[in-house]
Amino acid sequence: MSYDVLRAISAEHVDALASGATLLGSGGGGDVALGALLLRRMLEREGAEPVPVIASDELPVDALVVHAGVGGAPDVLAERLVDPDDCARAVEAVVAQTGGRLAAVGVIEIGGLNALMGVIAAARLGVPVIDGDLMGRAFPRLDQATLTVAGHPIAPMALVGPLGDTVLVTRSSAAAAQALMVSSAAAFGGAATLAMFPTTAGTLVEHGVRRSLSVCVGLGRAFLAVDADAPATVAAEQIGGRLLCEGRVDQVRPREGRVPGSITLIDRHTGGVVRVDHLEEYLAVTIDGRTVVSAPEVIVALDHRARCPIRTDEVRLGQSLALATLPALHDWPSEVAAAVGPAGFGLRVEEPA
Amino acid sequence: MSLPSVADLLAEPILADALVVAGSEGLEREVADVRWWTGESTPVQDQLVVCGAEPVTPSYRLDALVRRTGEAGAAGLLVVGASVRPLLSSLRLADRLQIPVLWLDDAEPVIIVQELTPRVRAPELVRARTVDRLLRQLAPRHTGQDIVAAAEGVLEAPLALVTSDGTNLLGSPIELDETLHLDRPVAQRGRAVLVHPVLDPDANRPAAWLACRVERAAESRMGLLAAGLAITEPFLRSWLTAQRAHADRDVLFRARLLSEVLSGRDSVSRDVVEGAVSVGWQLPEWHVGLHLSCDDPTASDQQAAAPERLRAALGEHGITLTEAVDRGDGWALWSSDEAEPGAADARALLRAVRLATAALPREWGMVVGIGRPHRGPGGLAETLAEARDAAYLASSHDFRPAVEHSDELGVARLLATWQQSAVTRAFAETALAPLRSNESLMATLRAYLESGGSVVLVAEALGVHRNTVTARLQQIRDRLGVDLDDPSQRLALQVACRSTGA
Repeated sequence: MSYDVLRAISAEHVDALASGATLLGSGGGGDVALGALLLRRMLEREGAEPVPVIASDELPVDALVVHAGVGGAPDVLAERLVDPDDCARAVEAVVAQTGGRLAAVGVIEIGGLNALMGVIAAARLGVPVIDGDLMGRAFPRLDQATLTVAGHPIAPMALVGPLGDTVLVTRSSAAAAQALMVSSAAAFGGAATLAMFPTTAGTLVEHGVRRSLSVCVGLGRAFLAVDADAPATVAAEQIGGRLLCEGRVDQVRPREGRVPGSITLIDRHTGGVVRVDHLEEYLAVTIDGRTVVSAPEVIVALDHRARCPIRTDEVRLGQSLALATLPALHDWPSEVAAAVGPAGFGLRVEEPA
Repeated sequence: MSLPSVADLLAEPILADALVVAGSEGLEREVADVRWWTGESTPVQDQLVVCGAEPVTPSYRLDALVRRTGEAGAAGLLVVGASVRPLLSSLRLADRLQIPVLWLDDAEPVIIVQELTPRVRAPELVRARTVDRLLRQLAPRHTGQDIVAAAEGVLEAPLALVTSDGTNLLGSPIELDETLHLDRPVAQRGRAVLVHPVLDPDANRPAAWLACRVERAAESRMGLLAAGLAITEPFLRSWLTAQRAHADRDVLFRARLLSEVLSGRDSVSRDVVEGAVSVGWQLPEWHVGLHLSCDDPTASDQQAAAPERLRAALGEHGITLTEAVDRGDGWALWSSDEAEPGAADARALLRAVRLATAALPREWGMVVGIGRPHRGPGGLAETLAEARDAAYLASSHDFRPAVEHSDELGVARLLATWQQSAVTRAFAETALAPLRSNESLMATLRAYLESGGSVVLVAEALGVHRNTVTARLQQIRDRLGVDLDDPSQRLALQVACRSTGA
């Protein structure tokens, strides 16, 4: 499905952006509500300019782009308001380390809260935001970003706590960057604002996921336009997705550490037995013992009236769900399936036929 | 032979702890073989697929396994030793595909496959192996308990020896159902039980039934159990025969031993003493003999029920007797004690025997005589002789049960003779004539004499004041013209009072 190219983000786009980000979160990516409030407030302020959206190929090849977002515990991020100044500080710390002039801010992941955080950082710094991201959905780990897969460094990386405390990592492997992010976020009370992946517009043209902000807002708009009483099939169609099944949740087996949790429901149309495996995100849908969809494809769970997407932590016993899949924004090369496919999450299912 | 179903295999002892977690609608599917799951290429058509923990851990992986085995036409899936809990999705899927999923914790998958395979592929092998083990196990057993326990162990099923009326003699409690024809001495199958007759050693009728509980099982297992019962039966029969011979020999031995003690008196031979020790008789101690006879011969027919019941009843009163020895006209029983029993013991014994016999069936017509305590082998002969005499006297009473103690015997006999004589009666008529018309004086006199001349006891017995008694005694003296303080006069009057009876 093609969506209009987005030129700038103003207050009117916030709802669509938040909805689209939630859908692309594949059930994870964190609660967007606080981020949406924050962004709307910034854009509605008197004299506030819309945030320009620019495609990476519209920038000079060597223009500096730094990616901004938040990391840490989803529960903390859902409740603790992020200071946009912290985002700016983190980006500035990375720019100071790399040298040069910041041309634009990039979005780390288009799924969930971080889709909004990139825009918030750009708004505060007064620079355009890149129409793209590094994941094409939500992923829990930094080694699941396109740039990491392509061999680009994550560092220099800056982490800023709510009191302005700053951790600057000048050099790091992907695994160490992940560990440093988790431990710093813990030290900062569970969450931190981040800036990482300093790169050039040319690299993003080659390795970034392109046009994802446009897709996200378009997707959100399409979803918000769905009639409240429309059946799930229609809703799935309108967002360019494919309905997998509809049914009532019969069992919720929570995850145990790194072992994925599973949700069981029975398809009310075919009687098929449906299992959805998840960690933070929905990872795979298995119908009658056969896996039909798995990461990196985006899996969306809608409540029975198609009013809102349901995150993994919101699934309850007895709930009526419609499961749909959205086409992936990025065409991952088959050799990276180990990182972004089910195996990358420790999930041992067969590949969908 | 027909193939076993999944449900049949579930009845095998090795799967006793297995749970059917899903797909119970497919339990009647026939199992052609047992197969260890090695991956998708495993041919599993109509087979019971066995797998360990690996293919089902984490639990979501069971879904794919159920789907693959179900699509490949497996008869069932047995998961062994997995510590995970299956997901609802796997269970629903198994239900949908109607493939039974069996769950067995705490077991070695290799052993399970090894044990189940011959049960499916070659049941006759299992049967031969069981028969062989059963024979080996039964050969060294001597008691009925051991035989039943050994057979239970080998056949891995609850066994019992029961009578036709359902009384359990040995082994686990097993109920016989009414579909069985217990009047026919042939092996039979009830609703949830297999029975095999254990023939009477002396007659061609079942003395008891060897029963085995089977809820449900494959034909092959049923056949195996039936064969197991048939093999166990001769061992039980031979034990019954030995038991009976032993009991008969015991009775004869005791009777002969006792007659030697009685005839030898104090000079018993060494053989006799050794024999007495072997049956638990303490010859050198003090003995109190009992002699028991019954008017009703059937009471003694019931395996000497009367003496055993009396012995048991006295046991409840704290009196331990030796086993009864048949003396032809009755049974001799006795108690032995290191110390000489006192008069109080004799009274307690008499009282206990009276209570005990009163509690036993009256129609048996029990007559018991009790001897006085005597010491040593000669003493045993003496007390038994006294007991027999006492029993003889007791049998002349017209009531049953009758008990007599030889201590009271001499006086009672003498008095009985006197009381019956015409001379005494004539004397009584004459001597007591002055009191005939006055019942209260007569009662006072009788009470006075019986109480040994105590005014206080008489007053208590009659419920009157002492002075009344004294006044009445004065009247009696006046009317009869006798001196109540003269022992001879008192004796004559007492005999007269007793002979009048009233």
